[in-house]
Amino acid sequence: MEELIYKLKEEIIDVLNLEGMKPEDIDENAPLFGEGLGLDSIDALELIVLMEKNYGIKLKNANEGKEIFKSVRVMAEYINEHKTK
Amino acid sequence: MKNKYSIYQKGHSIISPLAHGSYANFEAIIAGKSQLQCYEQRWGIPEPFFASLFQDEHDLNAVETLHETSLHQMEPQYTRFEKLAIKAAEDAIKQANIDASNERVLFILSTTKGNVELLEHLGSCHDNRPYLWYSAQLIAKYFGNQNTPIVASNACISGCAAQIAAYNMLQYSDQYDYVVVVGAEVLSKFIISGFQSFKALSPERCKPFDQNRCGLNLGEAGAAIVYARTKTPEELPEQTIIMEAGAINNDANHISGPSRTGEGLLKSIHKVTENFDTQRIAFINTHGTATLYNDDMESVAINRASLQDIPVNSLKGYYGHTLGAAGIMEVILSSIALQKRMVIKSLGTEQAGTAQPLNVCMENHKIQGDAFLKLISGFGGSNAAVLFSLRQGSGGRSQGTVIRIHNSQFTIHNSIVLPQITIGAQGIDDQLAQLYRNIGMSYPKFFKMDRLCKAGILGAEMLLKDYDFDHENVKADWGIILMNSASSLDNDRRYQETIAEDNYYPSPAVFVYTLANIVTGEIAIRHKIGGESSFYVMPKFDQNLMEEVIGQAFTTNPELTHIICGWVDVDGEECKVNMKLYKRIQNSEIKQ
Repeated sequence: MEELIYKLKEEIIDVLNLEGMKPEDIDENAPLFGEGLGLDSIDALELIVLMEKNYGIKLKNANEGKEIFKSVRVMAEYINEHKTK
Repeated sequence: MKNKYSIYQKGHSIISPLAHGSYANFEAIIAGKSQLQCYEQRWGIPEPFFASLFQDEHDLNAVETLHETSLHQMEPQYTRFEKLAIKAAEDAIKQANIDASNERVLFILSTTKGNVELLEHLGSCHDNRPYLWYSAQLIAKYFGNQNTPIVASNACISGCAAQIAAYNMLQYSDQYDYVVVVGAEVLSKFIISGFQSFKALSPERCKPFDQNRCGLNLGEAGAAIVYARTKTPEELPEQTIIMEAGAINNDANHISGPSRTGEGLLKSIHKVTENFDTQRIAFINTHGTATLYNDDMESVAINRASLQDIPVNSLKGYYGHTLGAAGIMEVILSSIALQKRMVIKSLGTEQAGTAQPLNVCMENHKIQGDAFLKLISGFGGSNAAVLFSLRQGSGGRSQGTVIRIHNSQFTIHNSIVLPQITIGAQGIDDQLAQLYRNIGMSYPKFFKMDRLCKAGILGAEMLLKDYDFDHENVKADWGIILMNSASSLDNDRRYQETIAEDNYYPSPAVFVYTLANIVTGEIAIRHKIGGESSFYVMPKFDQNLMEEVIGQAFTTNPELTHIICGWVDVDGEECKVNMKLYKRIQNSEIKQ
């Protein structure tokens, strides 16, 4: 799990162009949205693409993202459970 | 003091999957018809989608047999998009009975993506065909017109932005007697996949303003209006539709999400209705895309303007959102409705339910009033309101209009030309990032932007560096007008790579930048600019045209004190930025 969390952080930094951030800078238990990383609705949509592209997980409804993107840890747990690649 | 000219509609046409001709389209929608349907596996798009598409190219091909002259024989075959625009324009010009080849006729094209579908087969080669200015020239030349056409590329508000530009050209420039405003949009894998990645499409027929609305449908269409001017409106035939005023305002809030408070749209509504008796407004034709946020935003703006009792409708339930054609075709259909003193039913609305209550028109019915208000909003935070009225037997309105004379005085306060960047040892991205660091900018969002926005945001940053202005509040007295030749093609090519057949993962973060006017939105957000924001596309930088447009913007928007204006172009190997800050000179300053 810790390995997946680290990898996920790297992927998030890459696809969301979080300039100057390192995986260590992201607290895997902190909320992804709201304060902190300064992510917005377009970033949420891009995370949905990341899940499909890298892990073969297709969300039926964009609203499901709200629960899954609570924190990097929650996201990693979801991926671990549902990944198809 | 009143306006010098009355600007009026002299002819119009709509070509849609429903019908050909404005009146045939009007009859079809009055009968409740729509071509919105579900498409599966169209253009290799994995997910099904609802849209209003031309069933075959037969109708569009007909255009080639219409023109009897040989003006265009030298030109290669026209594309679907160009045929649609030409056919719509030809019908409107015929109805207006004008000589479109005359030098006092200007063409203004409205489209968001033009021939973008060609990118799939062009790869990275730089054919002229996907350039919006090139299509615009082909269309104007088809009619023998030699003036350089203008392309209004302001995302979803393009159709209204083009009509406002037409108004300004006719009212203030003295170069033109007629402006042919043409809007067209054809759909493709590019556009559909992008909206799908945004989760913006409804899986069923769209339901504008409905409590259960769940997204928009897209549609194809072409529409054209010939605008003319006169100093003696009392001599116009009764029932002539007069364009009273138009306004554009930026939300300065978000590049893809509408403002929750409807701020920009409210400003535009206020501007076009000031000094106008709103009791005369028979109905409001809204944007009404049927996305949750757009319809809520419009309901908030309409309520804040205290116009919530006026019947409102959306025509998206008939045609879907036809992007660059929408603002034009919806004005035509609303104009005919006004002439017939009726309001068209908002098809798809079953149980209205928006953030603020609206008087949604559920059935076609007769109305009182002799004017209508057109509202439209889009990506880049742009909003527009346009007011139209019927010429009455009494000589109509245009009396008691606000003062608008073309005597704006302005100076160039500051100007910046970024060193021309070309691909060399360092890529453009690296060079832009270098510049960002060199000027000490701290704005993490910069790294999420496409190269056009990066170039524009750096230009604006350097332009405004050390300039004393309000950084805290949204400034309605500041505007942004940018131009270029490649529109967003640089980023369009990048998006195309995300929808390749063997690697199909449409990227919403890339798609959002496939509109040139997003750069005006980014600058508006960064510097809290809430006045007009406009983007025009043309073959090359033209200082005279730019100053003409700035003069018109200062004149038509009396509240504007500053305009950021310039050329921001990124195209493959080149990045050119030449921006200026224009400041209005007050009368008192002139005397000094």
